[in-house]
Amino acid sequence: MFAITQLWQPFHEFMFMQRALFGGLVLACSTAPLGVFLILRRMSLIGDAVAHGILPGAALGFWFAGLSLPALTFGGLGAGLGMAGLAAWITRRTGLREDASLAAIYPISLASGVLILGIAGKRLDLLHLLFGSALAVDGPTLQGMLWVSACSLIAMLLIYKPLVLDTLDPLFLRTVSCLGPLAHGVFLTLVVLNLVIGFQAIGALMVVGLMMLPAAASRFWSRRLPVLIAVAAVIGCLSVWLGLLLSFYYSLPSGPAIVLVAGAGYLLSVIVGPVHGLLRRPPLLTSQ
Amino acid sequence: MIRCQSLSWGAPGQPLTSPLNLQLDSGSLTAIIGANGCGKSSLLKVIAGLQKPLAGKISLGVPRQSGLSFLPQQQHLDRQFPINLQELVAAGFWGRRLSTQLRAQRLQAALENWHLHGLEQRPLMALSGGELQRALLARLSLTDAPVLLLDEPHAALDELGQQLLWQHIHAWHGEGRTLVVVCHDLAAVRQHIPSTLLIKHRECRLAASAELIAQTPHTQVA
Repeated sequence: MFAITQLWQPFHEFMFMQRALFGGLVLACSTAPLGVFLILRRMSLIGDAVAHGILPGAALGFWFAGLSLPALTFGGLGAGLGMAGLAAWITRRTGLREDASLAAIYPISLASGVLILGIAGKRLDLLHLLFGSALAVDGPTLQGMLWVSACSLIAMLLIYKPLVLDTLDPLFLRTVSCLGPLAHGVFLTLVVLNLVIGFQAIGALMVVGLMMLPAAASRFWSRRLPVLIAVAAVIGCLSVWLGLLLSFYYSLPSGPAIVLVAGAGYLLSVIVGPVHGLLRRPPLLTSQ
Repeated sequence: MIRCQSLSWGAPGQPLTSPLNLQLDSGSLTAIIGANGCGKSSLLKVIAGLQKPLAGKISLGVPRQSGLSFLPQQQHLDRQFPINLQELVAAGFWGRRLSTQLRAQRLQAALENWHLHGLEQRPLMALSGGELQRALLARLSLTDAPVLLLDEPHAALDELGQQLLWQHIHAWHGEGRTLVVVCHDLAAVRQHIPSTLLIKHRECRLAASAELIAQTPHTQVA
């Protein structure tokens, strides 16, 4: 039978589970505010574009330097920023809608990543790159995750006020302060950093899920921004914990398990959430 | 205070009017009127430094930041944004060093002035258009900038709200601030604002409001 101790026993017994849990929890905490702001800024797709963009960069890094953390990280960082930047540049120069220009970037990134891996001789498992594995969180990766999380939480605290106002009313902020573009730039850099450091633990495509799903779910629980961020962090942490347990007991890949738990949290929030959830009457039929 | 020298603005390659030369004195109260799409709001944004002019120069007698405050049209705001009315209004304190006590006092006064009492904790989504507009005006009033640019401040306001708005505009004018107001309500412009800039495709004209706007305004201009 299921015993309550099973909820933490694997983390006691196995070092790799402990590292995966710890890394996942700090990552969930630092991606929560990023995801909430991405949604508020109507930039939810940027995360996807960056995550796809990471692939060819990480594949190139692997091709030239083998399975090394700095090579994968810097390759992913450069390519992720490059792809998001390319999409933004095309939008600005040609007026192509932003979602279309981002959607055009995904397949290019994904295909070139797969192609590079093919040329490199399939020594790096594609599935590993896409969906990660809890086993991959070794000491240096965990350290990287801690650093990135700590830095992004501190940076978010510093830019919180200008970022809120820049998101809500950029015109007003620009007349009273020049911090708007700076906050925006720092924010985007943090998004890319978190995605890059997260992709090695739970995979390039799955880390976007950990960023966006708790953030989208939190919207159904509160109307206050700090509460939204806290709720997103809690949902993210619960997803990491439950997801790792599921993957341990049922031998599932850890990335998808975590993201599917977050997905279940999202669907549950859509249904029972007190702020415009489906069961809430009267329902909000039109969105503004 | 605000001087434009052969200023042209609009989309690249398509200036909205012929180059504008304009001088608005410190402490003046000026309306901008004209047809839809003639470039009233864009001119305001160019003056505020939010849009680059195509050509020409603007000089302000004050620094752009902290010297100038801009009231945007409220459709720019995301009504689902998770913030309440009080937080929105308090953003008017941006960049000013005031004690907590002074802030609380001024915030209370602004909320009272704009008849926003009891709405402090309301989320943006639950505010009516008029309440939101008064909140934006209250935020503007907290900035204490010597130059105020208002883009359709009367939009969404009911009779009472409009009275309140004109009272405050006159009060700001009386304090010696420079105001530029984009307004569609020609009768109100004629009644409340001494001078008017009429923007037309061929030429722009700055004159006394009474001279530009005839007694039966709606059929005359635009």
